[in-house]
Amino acid sequence: MRRRDFIGLSAATLALSACEPLARLRGLGIPLSVLRPGMADGHRLRDAIKLPEPGGELSTGVAILGGGIAGLTAAWRLAREGYTDFILLDGPEPDGNAAATRFSVGAENYAAPRGAHYLPLPSRESTHVREILADLGVIRANPQSERPEYDESALVHSPEERVWYQGAWHEDLLPTRALPEAEAAQHRRFEALIASLRTARGADGRKLFAIPIVESSRDPVWRALDRLSFAAWLRREGYTAPSLLTYLDYASRDDYGAGLAGISAWAGLHYFAARDGRAANAEPGAVLTWPDGLQTLARGLGKYIPAGQRYAGYALRIEEGRNGVRVLCRDKDGKVYTLNARRAICALPLHVAARVVPNLAGYGFDARRHLPESAPWLVGNILLRGFPKEQAGVNLAWDNVVHGSRGLGWVVSTHQDLRAARPAHTVFTTYRALADATPRAGRDLLQRAPDTELLALALEDMEQVYHPLDLWRRMQAVELILRGHGMAIPRPGYLDNPGLAALRSTDGRLLFAHGDLSGYSVFEEAAWWGDIAAQRILKG
Amino acid sequence: MFPAPAKAVTLPAMLDRVLILSVFVVASCGLAYELVAGALASYLLGDSVLQFSTIIGCYLFAMGVGAHLSRYVRDEDALARFIDIELLVGVLGGLSATLLFLVFAWMSAPFRSVLYVVVFLVGVLVGMEIPLVMRVLNRHRAAFSELVSRVLTFDYLGALAVSLLFPLLLAPTLGLARTGFLFGMLNVGVALWTAWHFRAELGGVSRRLLRGGVILILLAGGFLLSDRLTHWAEQGLFGDDIVFARSTPYQRIVVTRWQDDIRLYLNGNLQFSSRDEHRYHEALVHPALAALPGARRVLVLGGGDGLAVREILKYKNIDSVTLVDLDPEMTGLFTTSAPLVALNAGALRDKRVKVVNADAGQWLEGDVGSFDLIVADFPDPSNYALGKLYSVPMYRLMTRHLAAGGYLVVQSTSPYFAPHAYWCIDATLREAGFQTWPYHVYVPSFGEWGYILAGTRPGFTPPSQYPVATRYLNAATTAEMFRFPPDMTPPVVEPNRLNSQSLVRYFEQDWGQVIR
Ligand SMILES: Cc1cc2nc3c(=O)[nH]c(=O)nc-3n(C[C@H](O)[C@H](O)[C@H](O)COP(=O)(O)OP(=O)(O)OC[C@H]3O[C@@H](n4cnc5c(N)ncnc54)[C@H](O)[C@@H]3O)c2cc1C
Repeated sequence: MRRRDFIGLSAATLALSACEPLARLRGLGIPLSVLRPGMADGHRLRDAIKLPEPGGELSTGVAILGGGIAGLTAAWRLAREGYTDFILLDGPEPDGNAAATRFSVGAENYAAPRGAHYLPLPSRESTHVREILADLGVIRANPQSERPEYDESALVHSPEERVWYQGAWHEDLLPTRALPEAEAAQHRRFEALIASLRTARGADGRKLFAIPIVESSRDPVWRALDRLSFAAWLRREGYTAPSLLTYLDYASRDDYGAGLAGISAWAGLHYFAARDGRAANAEPGAVLTWPDGLQTLARGLGKYIPAGQRYAGYALRIEEGRNGVRVLCRDKDGKVYTLNARRAICALPLHVAARVVPNLAGYGFDARRHLPESAPWLVGNILLRGFPKEQAGVNLAWDNVVHGSRGLGWVVSTHQDLRAARPAHTVFTTYRALADATPRAGRDLLQRAPDTELLALALEDMEQVYHPLDLWRRMQAVELILRGHGMAIPRPGYLDNPGLAALRSTDGRLLFAHGDLSGYSVFEEAAWWGDIAAQRILKG
Repeated sequence: MFPAPAKAVTLPAMLDRVLILSVFVVASCGLAYELVAGALASYLLGDSVLQFSTIIGCYLFAMGVGAHLSRYVRDEDALARFIDIELLVGVLGGLSATLLFLVFAWMSAPFRSVLYVVVFLVGVLVGMEIPLVMRVLNRHRAAFSELVSRVLTFDYLGALAVSLLFPLLLAPTLGLARTGFLFGMLNVGVALWTAWHFRAELGGVSRRLLRGGVILILLAGGFLLSDRLTHWAEQGLFGDDIVFARSTPYQRIVVTRWQDDIRLYLNGNLQFSSRDEHRYHEALVHPALAALPGARRVLVLGGGDGLAVREILKYKNIDSVTLVDLDPEMTGLFTTSAPLVALNAGALRDKRVKVVNADAGQWLEGDVGSFDLIVADFPDPSNYALGKLYSVPMYRLMTRHLAAGGYLVVQSTSPYFAPHAYWCIDATLREAGFQTWPYHVYVPSFGEWGYILAGTRPGFTPPSQYPVATRYLNAATTAEMFRFPPDMTPPVVEPNRLNSQSLVRYFEQDWGQVIR
């Protein structure tokens, strides 16, 4: 072998291993962090043979267990009504799915969501959300009116969204103008149907599709849709246009973490028909968003908690006793103690509650039968220096979606800044529900896949659109957030899950609150159950 | 496989070892540069199989060319040329990664060309190394065939070492730029070592050592500073050094002069002509300031040319003017360039004036005190980013910094050519809680131009006289400004809501019709 051959051969071998993105990250010196919120604690609990003994005791009036939107809303309501004898236990992730990250570059900080990033204009029924928004200054006037006035810095700024279809960007998420007439006609038919469902009422006089979901009509004719998958319903109704199905599948994965075939038809229609909030100063369908996503709201709610009453720590076991609720807790330093409370709100995800509330069946919830499946999610925060180059004449939107992709596109954290010049850096947050196979397979992937593979998933959409040359040279840092149990999936039949119904109506010493109680997870539902629990405590 | 070591005939054993070690290092470096270039190209361009194969191809070809060229070196020069080549490889190879990074950061088009030129040059030089070493050894009448095999052995070993170290250790820990510098230093080290050991038969050793030393220090500096180097180079990127035309990160500034007319263009749009800018700036400033005899603090947003400030400074009651303009190049130009300073009467150098370079929104979000008058002299709302400067949240921020009874005045594009845009700004100010008093003036180089005066209290009467010298404004022209003739009746418009950015759309439509 000659020198030249040898050099050629060794370099070629290297070439094959260098094409994967992690090597590229390392080669360019871009730091990568991978977070799995709650996973280590959760698995420790799952695999524990024996729980540790408590080394101390603490007591309070009300223990709020879980620092997500549900727990925070409960705290807000209690504090707002002057009831301050409570403690909130955050668990592994303060703010839960509404948590956010902050990158600092020199003197500048760039916030970006680690999960929830937007809130649709609240419907008329979401009085609790309107109250929260008014308290936090997001609604400036007339919170409970048909069209409240919102703080415009939170209303998503134009251009709101765009979709990448056949190598070009189109306004809005449906490339309607680029479609053949037969397909476009189906889009129009679907839109007309949704428009009529928005105002339609059932035989009981209630709105067919409402948020919170418990305010929806019980009319059996419509509830029957819950026995069908959304895919089956679409087929039955003659919706066959590939572009429409692709779009609806995207919407379904985006909101529920599962595709058309995996969700209830009722849930599929609910997604579109229930969001009918209006604003005095925005278009119908506008959403509220902040650079750090919904953490702005979580922070606002958290401010109501009196100083020193928000604890870092983890509930290991929750048991109702004769005089109250005993919670075995582990604090952040690993010390274990008992928290005695007259009443407690279990604002934990149900898959966690199923582990820490030994007597869950006693409340009517049998985890084996009633636990909703939950969808695994991958969120990626990509810190960029400057902005990747767009096609001539095209503006970056807040939400950017690639038609037909398995990813869910990305949102731009600096979109809402009141700036004339673009900031020196920005964060693109990419979303992906691992909805291709079963949730379990998705979780396995999150747990075991090498960072390389996760990174590739997180970057897939952006890499399709931007010149890799341009994208990679701008990347400054990457954070991947893996949420094994991101949100409950509304499978067919979820509306009548008797276990959920039981937990929703529990009104004893231990109360339940979490988005999961609605069978699907959004801010409005999580806040609703937090509010209901707090009101039950206030009443009695 | 390894041949038994043979005794060199005339070469002292120590020198022999030095040479062999050099071969090992030289071989490592040769492969390293190729790997650095290949990895860099695949990191930056993607498609690593393509990048590596083209780079390998180019590199191997270049090595062939190098080997061929080495024949033209005379035997007696072989040692000296070898040292020169080591220095050259050290510089070029050492800098290659950083150089390519910088080229890439600035301009994507010629990146590939620069890449292959660099790869080719390094390849040629590396291709000359080993043949020259052989000839040096040959000249010393070493047992040639044995030596050849030993040299080749160490050549392979060096390459093997690097092919393992590079992906496992060097690229992940040092990164590509530093790896490049590291190998550059090794090459130079070989040059220095060889020069020192063969000092007896080489002329001008001290010159060689000095040259090598300087290069070594440069490369070591690069190794230590490689992060900052990239950063610096970026900052110095923009701008061709023509005095009155400059591209800044924010805009392209062009100042033209024709006879006594100085004009400023930003991104190709006329900002003023010195012949009639007094009309524009008098109208912008005086109606408000003449109505605020007690005013002390004024804020100017935008307006980095200092012409509005010039008008403001005419009032003796004003203690302080803060000018917030995004672009330091702009304010710098109007603080230092003689003809422009003459135009703004040195306004930006005045003791009462404080210049801040910041994004107005960001600056107003801070705690900056309150002002009796705020002048918003922003560029027209021709895109979504600029549209945010004319929004309710922006005007609310301004209210926060407006003293009780103070005024805000907003340059608002043309009420004649862009009536929807103009009245949209008016509606937006009202939505933000202001009372408004729209007015307009004729500026020959612009046409009919519009402003909106806004305050939080009712009642504003246009001034009937001015306490300072004005060229255009008097009682009559002022009264005229606040009247809108029938062909400028306000159309029905929505306020500019960030959710729909109607202003940007109005602006585009209005001006689109004018141009057609
Ligand atoms: C990727 C992603 C994107 C989303 N985007 C949106 C969106 O844009 N808009 C929207 O409305 N909704 C979105 N959601 C839904 C989101 O789940 C809800 O908005 C809301 O944040 C749920 O709040 P929660 O209180 O019900 O639950 P969680 O957020 O799950 O909060 C649970 C809390 O319990 C704590 N905890 C867990 N175990 C323990 C323990 N053993 N002891 C004590 N505490 C514990 C956790 O630390 C956490 O604070 C998204 C969800 C995901 C996964």
